[in-house]
Amino acid sequence: MRACTLLCTVVAAGLSTASASAQIFDTAKYPNLQGQWRPIGGPGRFDMSKPAGRGQQAPLTAEYQAIFEANLKDQAEGGQGTTSTYKCISPGMPRVTNAYGEVEFIITPDTTYILQDHILDDRRIFTDGRNWPAELEPTLLGYTIGKWIDSKGSGRYDVLEAETRGFRGPRVFDGSGLPLHEDGQTIVRERIFVDQADANVAHDEVSVIDHALTRPWTVMKNYRRDPKPRPFWTEEYCENNNHVFIGKEHYVLSADGLLMPAQKDQPPPDLRYFKPAAK
Amino acid sequence: MTYRNLLGAIALMALSLASARAEIFDYARYPNLKGQWRPIGGPGRFDISKAWGPEQEAPLTPEYQKLFEANLADQFAGGQGWDRDWTCQSPGMPRVTNGYGQMEFVIAPGSVHILTQHIHDNRRIFTDGRDWPAEIPPTFIGYSIGRWIDTRHDGNFDLLEIETRGFKGPRAYDTSGIPLHLDGQTIVKERIYVDKDNHEVAHDEVTVIDHALTRPWTVMKNYQRDADAQPYWREVGCSENNNYVEIGKQPYALSADGLLMPVKKGEPPPDLRYFKKGK
Repeated sequence: MRACTLLCTVVAAGLSTASASAQIFDTAKYPNLQGQWRPIGGPGRFDMSKPAGRGQQAPLTAEYQAIFEANLKDQAEGGQGTTSTYKCISPGMPRVTNAYGEVEFIITPDTTYILQDHILDDRRIFTDGRNWPAELEPTLLGYTIGKWIDSKGSGRYDVLEAETRGFRGPRVFDGSGLPLHEDGQTIVRERIFVDQADANVAHDEVSVIDHALTRPWTVMKNYRRDPKPRPFWTEEYCENNNHVFIGKEHYVLSADGLLMPAQKDQPPPDLRYFKPAAK
Repeated sequence: MTYRNLLGAIALMALSLASARAEIFDYARYPNLKGQWRPIGGPGRFDISKAWGPEQEAPLTPEYQKLFEANLADQFAGGQGWDRDWTCQSPGMPRVTNGYGQMEFVIAPGSVHILTQHIHDNRRIFTDGRDWPAEIPPTFIGYSIGRWIDTRHDGNFDLLEIETRGFKGPRAYDTSGIPLHLDGQTIVKERIYVDKDNHEVAHDEVTVIDHALTRPWTVMKNYQRDADAQPYWREVGCSENNNYVEIGKQPYALSADGLLMPVKKGEPPPDLRYFKKGK
């Protein structure tokens, strides 16, 4: 009878656990991605293993290689080429994986958030088992669905697989202006995981399928965790910069706050809406 | 013997549960703040129960009342007064509680994140029991420490108490430009909870202690949950659709045809001394 009481208690506890399981989140089942992360080697290039610009050897189509070359020429002359982050427009995907700010991964049962205070770089990866919506409103960051994988069969998730679709442009891979196709049909696939040998290193294997590319382009992103358990989180303020846009023209501000040309022989802005100074 | 084995198994299970305790996060113990939230009545005023501007009856000191009135005069003349949102600067605290975008409360072990995609409105509230740091680098959003409270003593948390310090300025309460003190010594205390009668409504009781005020100013923020279980999250880019330009400290507007315009009657054009003069 006593044994039965104990057994009943165990069974009851098991049932109770099962009914509450939807609310119980066992963080031990997920990789430890807590803390503040920074890209190893900085955020400067899409493929950190190769030099910038042409050295990236991006598999661009001939059409987009020509766009890239024109962008490089413009940048060499003082312009910004195909990049738009200088206007404080979100880098978009896949460029945000370069990690322009301090990165935080927040894992919850339904969603994994990748937060970066830079411009608008925060990502929401839905892991609630949803399907792709019938229609996706095109955005720079896209719409991301993820799935946690137990790749080792150990009962613990060790890889977050994510796929992102639903883009608008223009978007580029990095500051050199390597362009993505303007059709917004990019598909970005990622595998995010913690390094097996160094628990303070995380990786994001990023594969980009895009009509500006002749084949999928796969690179590995590497992030290092800040050793401080309570790191300082910087408040970024992109707009506090010295770029000014008037219509389609880009100007810069001098140290004394005056408007200056961004390129040699650039004409001043049209001031027709101002009253002429009284003589 | 069977009975002994059973006891042993139960003891092992208890030990195992105890050792895993730190890894378990029970969402059932926290209020259901999932989903997408919007401010009831819109984000236009700090105290949504009162009309805009002077009707807010902010308990300002005479010095800051004068600043507020000068700001209103500037706004009526076409300027922006004390408000800095037009430059895509973060509204800062306590203004972000007005809820300028779709809001999400992300409850995680050790932190709560209130994400609002607007400018730089995201908040990170530490609920890990930490004390105030010896030094807080001043920011618009400030440094927030929170504590979950079980006010009903039923074993579940129903209230998030938050205190936020460590500010920089200038900051205003809302678009009317009601100013906070420039010394950045503001303390914001909040009590966030789900409405007892309507679980689709959440409240944030916000109390501001500030040297520009003659007494603490307390208002109630009310948010309504979107009924969609998988709501659409907008991508908002402040800089992308901004038709204001700041040159030096002077605001200008952009016309529909992308040309620079004065925002105030008789406003002089920008100084173009750094441009080559036309022949």
